[in-house]
Amino acid sequence: MSIKHHRPLLSVENFSFGYDPDKEPLLKDLTLTIHQQETILFIGPSGSGKSSFSLCLNGLYPEAVEGWAKGEMIYNGRSLSHFKKGEINKEIGVVFQDPESQFCMVTVENELAFTLENIKTPREEMAEKIDAILSAVGLAEEKHRPIHELSGGNKQKVALASVLLLNPKLLILDEPTANLDPASRFEFIQLIHSLKQERDFALFIIEHQLDDWLPMVDRVIAMNRHGNILLEGKPEDVFYNQVEKLKKEGIHLPRIVETVLEAHEGKVLETNRPLSEGDLVPWINSNDHLMNPITREIQACDLWANEKSEVLSIKNVSFSRGKKSILKEINLSLYSGELVAIVGKNGAGKSTLLQLISGILSPKTGSRLLLNKKYEAWSEHDMRKVMGYVFQNPEHQFITDTVYDEIAFGMKLNGVSQDKIEQNVNQLLERFHLTSHKWSNPFALSGGQKRRLSVATMLEDTPSVLLFDEPTFGQDAQTTKELMQMIQTLQRQGTAIVFVTHDMDLVDTYCEKVYVVNGGEVSFNGKPDELWQKPEILHEAKLRLPFRVRINQLLENLHQNKKKQGVVRAHANIH
Amino acid sequence: MLTSINPTMKAFAVLIPALLLAFTFDPLTPFIYLVFTVAVTFFFSKVAFKRWILIFSPFLLLAVSFAWMTMLHPSDAFSGGDVLISVWSFQVTTESFWAGISLGLRSLSFAALSLLFILTTDSTKFMLSLMQQCKLPPKLTFGILAGYRFLPTFRYELQVLRQAHRIRGVGRAKGVKERLHQFRRYAIPLLANAIRKAERVALAMESKGFTGETDRTHYHEMTIDKRDWIFVSVFFVMFFVSVFLSYQLGFLNIFGKDF
Repeated sequence: MSIKHHRPLLSVENFSFGYDPDKEPLLKDLTLTIHQQETILFIGPSGSGKSSFSLCLNGLYPEAVEGWAKGEMIYNGRSLSHFKKGEINKEIGVVFQDPESQFCMVTVENELAFTLENIKTPREEMAEKIDAILSAVGLAEEKHRPIHELSGGNKQKVALASVLLLNPKLLILDEPTANLDPASRFEFIQLIHSLKQERDFALFIIEHQLDDWLPMVDRVIAMNRHGNILLEGKPEDVFYNQVEKLKKEGIHLPRIVETVLEAHEGKVLETNRPLSEGDLVPWINSNDHLMNPITREIQACDLWANEKSEVLSIKNVSFSRGKKSILKEINLSLYSGELVAIVGKNGAGKSTLLQLISGILSPKTGSRLLLNKKYEAWSEHDMRKVMGYVFQNPEHQFITDTVYDEIAFGMKLNGVSQDKIEQNVNQLLERFHLTSHKWSNPFALSGGQKRRLSVATMLEDTPSVLLFDEPTFGQDAQTTKELMQMIQTLQRQGTAIVFVTHDMDLVDTYCEKVYVVNGGEVSFNGKPDELWQKPEILHEAKLRLPFRVRINQLLENLHQNKKKQGVVRAHANIH
Repeated sequence: MLTSINPTMKAFAVLIPALLLAFTFDPLTPFIYLVFTVAVTFFFSKVAFKRWILIFSPFLLLAVSFAWMTMLHPSDAFSGGDVLISVWSFQVTTESFWAGISLGLRSLSFAALSLLFILTTDSTKFMLSLMQQCKLPPKLTFGILAGYRFLPTFRYELQVLRQAHRIRGVGRAKGVKERLHQFRRYAIPLLANAIRKAERVALAMESKGFTGETDRTHYHEMTIDKRDWIFVSVFFVMFFVSVFLSYQLGFLNIFGKDF
C-alpha cells in the first residue's frame, strides 16, 4: 500500500517538549509527517515520552501540564497554535490506555451524548448518531447500561465510539489494549482494522505488543530512550534490517519477526519478510529444513516427582456474596515447587479463588489445608509467614517510607535481630536490583521496580506458597521477563506458586498445570498442552491459544491441505 | 410521577418547606407535613415500601434519641408545665415532652423529604438540570459527575488496601497514634491514585472536545413546565395548610411563641 501520493495531514517540525525547563527535555527535536489515511506504529522503550507526544499532537500538552514546547506542528497547512480551544480535538481523537478513567458519565448513552454536546450537534440528530456509532462498534445492546458494569474490552469500545463521533481525520491509540485480556485485545484490533477501511482516518498507534497490529501498519517510527527519533521506515525494513538498533534500546521485536530471524540467523531475503501469522506459516513451510514446529523457548522447570509433597489442598469449597454464588465446589491441590496458573475470563471468580486460597476470605462450605493443617487452626501471624500474596497493584502493599524499611518491616514484626535484618535486607536488595534505591520512597520507583519490591517484601523467609494476582498486567515485556525469572528461581527453591493471568503465552512457557475457571467452576485442570487441544473450553473461557500453538496448528493445516492436494493430483495423473 | 418532575424544582419544593419547618416548634405542624410527604412518596412514585423503610429506620432511631434528649435537657423556655415522669434527678414536664416530640417529628419530616428527593431523582439529571436551569458552569457540572463515577472505585480500592496490609502483617490499629499512622498509610496510595485518575479523566474529556464553554447543545433537555410549578406550589401550600390547621386546633408554636 503506497501512501506517498496522499497529502500530509499533520507535520511536526523540530518539536521539543519538556516538563521542567531546567532539566533535559523529554522529547528532542522531533520531525515527522503523518499523511492522510496512513497507519503509523510508534514504538519506543517505556518512559521515552510516547504518551506525552500523543497529547502534544492533539494540542492538550503543554497547556494541560506545567511544561514547555518548542518547534512547530502544522495540521492541514495551519499551525496547531492557531486553532481555537477544542477545535483541534474534533480533527484528532485519542483513545487512552486505562479503561477505568476515560469517562465522565454513568451510562453508555450519556457518555456518547457528552461528546456530541461538546461539538454542538443539534439535539434532533443525536439519537440517530448514537445508534449508528453503537452498531458500528457492536455495542447496540449495551446502550443503556452503566459503563462500570461493562468488561474492559467493551469499555475501550465505548471510548473508541465516543471519539469516532467527532469524525476525526487522525485517530491516536495510546496503548488501548494494554489492560485487556488476549481475546478482547484481538477483538479490539480487528474492530479498528475494519473501521479504518470504512472511515478512512489516519492512525497513529502507540503499542508495546506489536504482532496483531503489524498487518495494517504502513510505517513504523521508533523513539530512543533519550527522546529522539531512532529510525523510521516500512515495517519490514525496520524490523528485519535494524534489529540491533532496536534491541539496544530495549524495544521488543514482534514474535513473528523473532521466529524468522532465529531460524535464519539474521539473514532474510528482501522479497519474503513475513509480518503476519498468515504469511509466517507458508514461510516456515518453505524453509522446512531450518526449523519445524516452534519449540518452547524456556522449558517449564520440572522437579522430580518424588521430591514433591502436597503443601496446600482445597476440597469442595464454595463461596457466595449475598445470594449470588461466586464459586461452586472447587477442588485444588498444590505441590511444592509447582507453578500453577489460574485462567478464565473477567468476572469468572479467579481473584476470589486466589483470596480463598490466601485465607483473606473464608468459604461458605468446604475444607482447606495448608501444610497438612486446617486453615482455621493457623494463627494469622504464622500463616502470613509461610504464604505470601502479591497484589495486582504493588502500591497497595507499601506501608513505609523507604525501600529499606519496606523489606525490613516483616522481619521487625517477627522480632529478628537488627544485624540479621540488615544482612537479609541487603541480600534481598541485591537480588532484586534495588540497592541503589535503598532509601527511596517506594511510591517514587518505576513500575518495574515497584513490582520487584512488592515481591521482595514477601520473601523474608522462603515462603511455602506464593500467590500472584495478575503479576504481568500492564507491564512491558522486559519487566514481565524479569518477574518470571524471579518466579522460577523461587520455584527451584521449592516454593509453590499460583498466579492468576490472562497471558496464555506465559502459561504455555512456564506452567506445569493450569486451572480454567468458568462461571464459578473449574472447567479444566491439567497440563497446558492438554488444554490447547480443547477448543470448546478455550472458547467458553474467552482464552486465546498462545503464539507457538497457533503457528503450529496453522502449519499442520497447511501440511494436511498439501497432502490432500497431492492425493488429488496423483489421482488426476492416473486418469 | 415524581421521577419526571424537574430535579431543580423538586429540590426547591423539598428544601424551602424543610427550612420553614425548622421554625415550627409544635408537634402538629411537622406531623401533618410528615404524613403528607410520605403519602406523596408512595402515591406518586414506584419506591418500594421495604426499601424506603430500610433507609428510613435509622432516622427513626435518631429522631427518638433527639426527642428523648430534648425531654431530659429542655431549655428554660420549655421547662414549664406539670411533671409527667421523673427519672433519677431528671424531670420530664408536659412542655418539654411536647418540645421533644416536636423535634423528633421535625427530624423525621426532614428525613422523609430528603428520601422523597433522593429516591426519585437521577443524579445525572439533577446535575444536568442544575446546569441548564441554575446556570451552574459546565466545568463544575461534568467535573462533579466524573467524580461521582469514582466513588465505587474508591470504596473497592480501600477494601483491597486493607487486605494488602493484612497480608503484610499489619494488624488492626489500636490507640489514637497508631490510627493516625494507619490513616496516613491508606491516604497516600488512595490519593496518589485519585490524582492520577482525575488527571486522566480531565485529559480524556478535553480530547472529546470539552472546553467548559456554556454554549453547548443538550441531549437531555431539562425543561420546567406547568406540572413542575404545580408540584412546587402544592408543597408550599401544604406547609401553610398544616400551619393553619395547627393554629385552628391551638397547637401552633413558631420559634417558641404560641399563637
